[in-house]
Amino acid sequence: MAIRFLDPNEAAYVRERINNDPEFRIAGKFMSEDILIGVGDAQRVIKVREGVVTEIALNPSPLDKYSFFIKAPEKGWNLFLKPIPPPFYQGFFTAAMREDFQFGGDVEALFAYYWAVQRMLAVIRELQNE
Amino acid sequence: MANIEPITGRYVHVEVQGTSYRVYFEENGKGIPLVCQHTASAEGLQWRHLLNDEEVTSRYRVISVDLPYHGKSLPPETVEWWKSEYKLTKSFFMDFHVAFSRALELDRPVFMGCSIGGDIALDLAFAHPDSFRAVVAFGSAELTPGFDLVWWDHPRVGPHVKFADPFGAASPYAPEKCQREVGWVLGKSSPQVFRGDSYYYSVEHDLTGKLDQIDTSRVGVYILAGEYDFAATPEMGRETAGKIRGAKYTEMKRMGHFCMAEDYDGFRKYLMPVLREIAGT
Repeated sequence: MAIRFLDPNEAAYVRERINNDPEFRIAGKFMSEDILIGVGDAQRVIKVREGVVTEIALNPSPLDKYSFFIKAPEKGWNLFLKPIPPPFYQGFFTAAMREDFQFGGDVEALFAYYWAVQRMLAVIRELQNE
Repeated sequence: MANIEPITGRYVHVEVQGTSYRVYFEENGKGIPLVCQHTASAEGLQWRHLLNDEEVTSRYRVISVDLPYHGKSLPPETVEWWKSEYKLTKSFFMDFHVAFSRALELDRPVFMGCSIGGDIALDLAFAHPDSFRAVVAFGSAELTPGFDLVWWDHPRVGPHVKFADPFGAASPYAPEKCQREVGWVLGKSSPQVFRGDSYYYSVEHDLTGKLDQIDTSRVGVYILAGEYDFAATPEMGRETAGKIRGAKYTEMKRMGHFCMAEDYDGFRKYLMPVLREIAGT
């Protein structure tokens, strides 16, 4: 299954959906972080400034900085993005504890904005299943 | 006419390890006492649906307690608690529940708990088999490692992580409004409480090598694991029950870690046969 938020043609729509999500706007308040999402070898950096997604950078170079990352093989993301995920793929943390997800980088920032990150991923799941 | 629920809330003073605690509890029903213990970082209102379930309260006196430092059970007045780090120990947790049951003059209650409540249920079955007629454990296992995590009480992380935690730990089948309520309740706790509770869950609770000594002829043991419970998985629950001669194990399909609060209708389908068996009906 093609992962929609990786599609370069969808980047503007993904950004718009996250920014228009009423819960993300609350949870992401004060957030200014660059979040690297890794899907197998593909990578995107979601740049957030003061709670607004300003850019989804495609194929960042190794020199591009990011705050923290969430990575998994494409197979893992496909399970995570199902409308009803199988056990332990319901959240990135649960999938990291029990399955094939990984997180790292500035973990303090990741968990400071855990609610916002969870919501962002929930929106990505929603648009995957539209 | 006012729409008032039959649940009543009161305070009882309980002495534990030489210190007096003013303890809040809610109850409803008549019959076999059923003491309910909440999860980490939470309070007794996680059991509010059970407390209002007439099929349960017609046979059981359901009692939901706020552990000291949780909900309406404040820290003790005679201790400068702010000068020491809050850590829930197995010794305190067990002594508290034995003393709480004595304070209420309960006759060998059934003890039921989830997460830290599930782990202490098994610890009580091991250490105090004659004080309880049965224990019912959810979100529990022989060992539940991996959750003594620094971000639960880091000042730059704060309440967001507690509030949002259930969005991952609950089952995706659970009604969203219930998942949100679980998060709201977890987010209410004071700093240190989630981490301190998790210290018991992941560090102090360890029944390795002891499960085969639990005597189910003295205390019945029921272990129920949610299909989506990543903290105490069905595999962990099944293995734990398998090491206790006479223990009964049930996997709860479509349920997550906060089972009694995240999806009560789903939860009670698994709970009712257990309560009927314990009541002998």
